Amino acid sequence: MAHDAHNEKDSSMLKIAMNLAITCFIAGAIIAGTYSFTEPVAVQQRVKIKNDAMKELVKDADSFEAIQGKSDWYKALKDGKVIAYVVPAESKGYGGAIKMLAAVTPDAKAIDYKVLSHAETPGLGDKMSEAKFRNQFAGKATDDMVVVKTPTDKNIQALTGATITSRAVTKGIKEAVEAVAEYTASVKE
Amino acid sequence: MNYWAIFKKGIFDQNPIFRLALSLCPALAVTSNVFNALGMGLAVMFVITANNVVVSIVRRWVNQKVRVPVFITIIATIVTLTQLMLEAFLPALYKELGIYLALIVVFAIILARAEVFAMKNGIVPSFFDGLGMGTGFALAMLLVGTIREVFGTGAFLGFPVLPASYNGPLILILAPGAFMVIGLLIGLFNVIGEYRSKLAAQRGEA
Repeated sequence: MAHDAHNEKDSSMLKIAMNLAITCFIAGAIIAGTYSFTEPVAVQQRVKIKNDAMKELVKDADSFEAIQGKSDWYKALKDGKVIAYVVPAESKGYGGAIKMLAAVTPDAKAIDYKVLSHAETPGLGDKMSEAKFRNQFAGKATDDMVVVKTPTDKNIQALTGATITSRAVTKGIKEAVEAVAEYTASVKE
Repeated sequence: MNYWAIFKKGIFDQNPIFRLALSLCPALAVTSNVFNALGMGLAVMFVITANNVVVSIVRRWVNQKVRVPVFITIIATIVTLTQLMLEAFLPALYKELGIYLALIVVFAIILARAEVFAMKNGIVPSFFDGLGMGTGFALAMLLVGTIREVFGTGAFLGFPVLPASYNGPLILILAPGAFMVIGLLIGLFNVIGEYRSKLAAQRGEA
């Protein structure tokens, strides 16, 4: 057997330490090598995922441009004109933070949103990602973003069994729209 | 040594989840749908096989007194490589597995195979041992994931297989459902295991 070869001398503190140190050194070198090779690809993937998500929200846009001074804010451009803003939105749901990407028109109306991460109940709260609930936000101004339990044309109808989630999403989107309204007002001045 | 026997024992007789009851945490956490369960199963299969081979190669230089930290370092390296690769080439799966991917480092089954098998055996038997154990793990994950997704949501890999009127019990997708499914499956495997050993004993006597 392999370890029968280890005699007393091999078990000195220095030998043991060297053994572990060499292992860690080799491991570090291998990881560093792989990282330098995969990181550029991973960065590209992250940019692509982000662009795809934004493209999905604002289908008419030709390109997206980061807004200076606002982290993770983008403007969607079509023929050089701003047709929408894509901004991060966050809210506290039933199971923790709900992170979203909200698309808002320059005149402060919601277009659509995409849920990036959440911890809501599967089968109930996670229906917030479905088009049926999402479409209720399209074209709404903040005043109409009120969660109600009965069917409605004007307001937002809550998801069955997930009122807290519905309220959280609505609050997050409302705040995003307000933030955009504030921003567009400040730019005009 | 018979490689087929080494490979085969991980699938049923020493199935990591159902017979050894090791690494139950991922079996509970990421089996709410088939895609995640299979992704996790394959990731573990890769790590356990690679780790067995590496441990088998370096075992002559590993000092007996620090073998566990050395094994963990090797496992951590392989897992990190897997993580980097997935992030670059399969970002969707990477995002779904999230924290559980990093947790592969401390899966009992991987360290157990390094200690019990790869440390004492050559490269080729160690490879088959890891592959067999990994396959057993992946199949178990697939089984649990299939049961939970099909009966919980009426879909398989996201495609509906049961009529739309089927309203699955929500508990199957939640964590308690995982405990129940795995508990029942362990019971089933024990019954089958007993029956098989009885058969083997009869054959031995005859």
